[in-house]
Amino acid sequence: MKIKFSLLLAIIVMQFIGCKPEAQFFWGNYSKTLYAYKKSPSDKTLADHKKSLTEIISVSLRKRKPVPPGVYAELGFIFEKEGNSKDGMDNFNQEIILYPESKEFIEKLENGFQSGENK
Amino acid sequence: MKYILIVPIFITFIGCNPSITKEEFAPQMYVEHPTSILVLPPINKSTAADAKDYYLTTVAEPLTNSGYYVYPIEIVSDVLKQEGLSDTETMLNVPPQKFREFFGADAVMYVTILKWNTSYLIVSGSVTVQIECEIKSTKTGATIWYYNDEISVNTSGDSGNAGGLAGLLIQAATTAIKTAATDYVPVAKDVNTKILLAIPFGKYNKEFNRDMKTKIELKKKSEKK
Repeated sequence: MKIKFSLLLAIIVMQFIGCKPEAQFFWGNYSKTLYAYKKSPSDKTLADHKKSLTEIISVSLRKRKPVPPGVYAELGFIFEKEGNSKDGMDNFNQEIILYPESKEFIEKLENGFQSGENK
Repeated sequence: MKYILIVPIFITFIGCNPSITKEEFAPQMYVEHPTSILVLPPINKSTAADAKDYYLTTVAEPLTNSGYYVYPIEIVSDVLKQEGLSDTETMLNVPPQKFREFFGADAVMYVTILKWNTSYLIVSGSVTVQIECEIKSTKTGATIWYYNDEISVNTSGDSGNAGGLAGLLIQAATTAIKTAATDYVPVAKDVNTKILLAIPFGKYNKEFNRDMKTKIELKKKSEKK
C-alpha cells in the first residue's frame, strides 16, 4: 500500500515537472511597455520601454539565458535615435554576434545611421 | 491477465483525437527550415482599431520562443515606412524574394486580422479573434505555412464562485468592468501563443526538428483556400 502511494505520488510529481517547460527567452515587460509607447508616444513611455529592454538584457544574463532576438537591436536603435552613436553601435554589434542571421539587416541600419540617412 | 490488454488499448484511444501532426500540417517547413522570419505589419479587417498594435507588440515573444530569429518589429515598421511601404496592402505586391535581398530573411509572415470581437457574456468576458497567417519562403515565394482559425480567449480571469443570484449579478458586473478596461496585452499574447502552437520549432528551440509527430488541434491541412 505504501509503495503504491509513493509510486502514485512520484508519477504526479513527474507530470507536474514536465508540465510547463520554462520559456526559451526572458521577455519581461516588453509587450506592455511597447504597446504603451505605440499607443501614446512620449519621452516617458519611450523611457519605460528602454528600461524594459535593459532589464531583459540584465535578467537574461543573470539567468544565463541568451538575450532574445531583436532586443539588442531595438535598444541600439533607440540609442541611435537619441544621437548616442557609441552605445547604438555597441548594441547593434551585440545583436550580430548573438544572431549572425541579422548581420545583413543590422549592417544596413548601421550604414544608414553613419551616413545620416536614418534620423 | 485481461487487464494487461485493456491498458494499452485505453492508452491508444486517449491519443486518438481527430488531430493531425505538425508535419502533416506544414510539410514544407521541414524541408526549408527557415531560421529567420520577417513579420510584416498586419492588415486589419476587424472593427477594433487597436487590434493591429495588440498583435504586433505581442507576436515576437511566442515566435522567438518557438525558436525563430524574428526581425525587431519596431525597427522593421520604421524601415518599411522609409521605403514607402507603410501601407500593408502595397507590401502584398512586393515579391517575397525582395525581403531576402533587403533583410536577409528566410521567410516572410503575412497577417490579416479578420475578427477581433469583445463579447459581453453574462458571467464571463471573452475575446474572439480570427486571424489569417501565412508564411512564405523568400527563396521560392511559395507558401510554407498557412493558418486561418477562430480563437476564443477568456478575459474574466479566475474569480471565486459567489453563490446564488446575487453572486451571479455581482460577477456579471465585475466582468463587464474588467472586459471594458482590461489591459488586452496579455490577451493578445495568449492569441499569438495559441496560433503558434501549430508552427514547427525553429533552430533556437531545443525541440528543433524533433516535433514532426507532435499532434496539433487542427483538422485541416495548411492550405490557402
